[in-house]
Amino acid sequence: MGWEEKQVRGYPEFVQTAQSYHGRPIFALFCGDKDAEGRSWCPDCVTAEPVVRKELPNMPDGSVFIYCLVGDRAYWKDPNNEFRKNLKLTGVPTLLKYGTPQKLVEEECFKPELVRMLFTED
Amino acid sequence: MPPPGQTQLPDWDGLKLRVRTLIASHRVMIFSKSYCPYCNKVKELFRSMRVEYYALELDVTADGPSIQQVLAELTNQRTVPNVFVNGTHIGGCDSTYQAYHDGVLQKLLGDSKDAEPYDYDLIIIGGGSGGLACSKEAAALGKKVMVLDYVVPTPLGTSWGLGGTCVNVGCIPKKLMHQAALLGQALQDSRKYGWQYEEQVKHNWEIMVEAIQNYIGSLNWGYRVSLREKSVTYLNSYGEFIEPHKIKATNRKGQVTYHTAETFVLATGERPRYPGIPGDKEYCITSDDLFSLPYCPGKTLVVGASYVALECAGFLAGLGLDVTVMVRSILLRGFDQEMAEKVGAHMETHGVKFIRKFVPVDQVEEGMPGRLKVTAKSTEGPEIFEGEYNTVLIAIGRDACTRNIGLETIGVKINEKNGKVPVNDEEQTNVPYVYAIGDILEGKLELTPVAIQAGRLLARRLYGGSSTKCDYINVPTTVFTPLEYGSCGFTEERAIEEYGKQNLEVYHSLFWPLEWTVPGRDNNTCYAKIICSKHDNNRVIGFHVLGPNAGEVTQGFAAAIKCGLTKELLDETIGIHPTCAEVFTTMDITKSSGQDISQRGC
Repeated sequence: MGWEEKQVRGYPEFVQTAQSYHGRPIFALFCGDKDAEGRSWCPDCVTAEPVVRKELPNMPDGSVFIYCLVGDRAYWKDPNNEFRKNLKLTGVPTLLKYGTPQKLVEEECFKPELVRMLFTED
Repeated sequence: MPPPGQTQLPDWDGLKLRVRTLIASHRVMIFSKSYCPYCNKVKELFRSMRVEYYALELDVTADGPSIQQVLAELTNQRTVPNVFVNGTHIGGCDSTYQAYHDGVLQKLLGDSKDAEPYDYDLIIIGGGSGGLACSKEAAALGKKVMVLDYVVPTPLGTSWGLGGTCVNVGCIPKKLMHQAALLGQALQDSRKYGWQYEEQVKHNWEIMVEAIQNYIGSLNWGYRVSLREKSVTYLNSYGEFIEPHKIKATNRKGQVTYHTAETFVLATGERPRYPGIPGDKEYCITSDDLFSLPYCPGKTLVVGASYVALECAGFLAGLGLDVTVMVRSILLRGFDQEMAEKVGAHMETHGVKFIRKFVPVDQVEEGMPGRLKVTAKSTEGPEIFEGEYNTVLIAIGRDACTRNIGLETIGVKINEKNGKVPVNDEEQTNVPYVYAIGDILEGKLELTPVAIQAGRLLARRLYGGSSTKCDYINVPTTVFTPLEYGSCGFTEERAIEEYGKQNLEVYHSLFWPLEWTVPGRDNNTCYAKIICSKHDNNRVIGFHVLGPNAGEVTQGFAAAIKCGLTKELLDETIGIHPTCAEVFTTMDITKSSGQDISQRGC
């Protein structure tokens, strides 16, 4: 069956998408918004994205990968934004396995073996 | 052998030749005496390395004493064992072990036949507090390390992730549930402080367990990431020794792999003991099951009087459940008994029922739907007790996990009675390349920080050139019963045994936490006690406190005790007001004076 990717932007769209895939393993990568040239305001997100994408084939069959743009820099810096409050995110990039305490934050996302561990362990 | 007393000049040249020939013709030559324990130690070392040695027992050899003289001239060493490897003089027992530790011995034995490289520098069996600390330290020192951690499910099928007892089914969930119970008490007090709310406050077990298990899950994951980042290989597999330096690892799918290492550390910890009565494994739970129990335990019988039993009984009662504790004899064996009885008395005043001097026998069987029937017998007479409970929690002690890991195959000695591992002061077992840390050690404290410290220092001694050993003296502890009990140093009983009652001065005081005054909570219940050694400047050798935040209070005093705290220094320390801890800076009344310590005012 392989895996599929969904790209979303903002908290409500993320929640709706995650809920629609209830029952399947869901992995989500949260990054800062990208500009017209496709570059994120978050330099760490720029570094992490290719590392994460390279490991996607290691996700279990039937997984869903949600690529979520959180918003602009100002929105992210607000300590009360919905991602911080509801999903308890502390930084971008964050790669997590939805519904579990398993996540990788910031520089942890640069390490292929950690990303692979997140995708393959239970 | 020439008869004693008869003088006969030894043939020195002949003896020297004989000694030199022996040294030259055996890979490992040990001049020994059959009754000498150090000689045995050295022989054990070579046996454990599977290296053949030749030993000449000088006590039963003709010319034994003369040979010893020759050796003295040759090596400047008069004693046995006197060890030579491939012609090189190593020395006695200590020197041989040192050479082994430094790798010099292995190099001297170097003839390639037996020297295959090991897969790892260090393999640690057990991924708990001790094992993880040791592995991370060793990896930080550049070694190739593997950790095996495997949880054999409980009879009811409960299992958990990486991190050991403390993180999963011990200290962490215990303290969180204790906190949940304390918050319940705080809610009750809050009305007296002016908080007004209509709803009656109830407790939801499932919400609490989910939140706690979520936190534990994040810790399990954190350890996985941490090991991976430090390049420590982690296997979720059951490890057993199958031959020297080699283990077999079986994962939960039954797949087997084999691994070798130069050094091993046993850190397998313990699991709850069952009483061995009919129905115990089918119907009873233990602390292994309690912290992730998916349903509220309801009316509970706790069997045991260990701190596990009392802490669990304490928070279950604090959450509003009907709790009974069945005690065979005394509370908190090994702890100061005056304090233990006070802990129990407070629990009893607050609704925990105690059945003392009874043990469960006969069936634990299903009573009415969802209820268990327990039959117990008095330890002093013919009386029988029968009760029905929703849950029976067994907390009568913990057994070391050392029986089924193949220790016999490599000759590691354990205490057959309790499974614990005797070690020297460097945590080394009788097999030189096998060490042990944590709860499985014979005669050492079963505490997470002790295991962590021992694990770290062991790694530093093995690979970092350190010689610092773990200090097991004056380790502070706290029992997190509803009224917390913190202590450091001697219990009063042990102090009297060790020093004699007349050489001790015990200061004590009751105290009433300020926060308890407004809501009218128990006065004359919280208690502080210090034991001083009269002939050593009234040095504080025992510290005991029963009261809120006992752990926080005790920690600082433990450091002071390490610095040699005396009563005078304590008196010179000015208290912080208003706190509970300040009581220790103004303790005047001694037990010997017989004066009343009940509190009246501020």
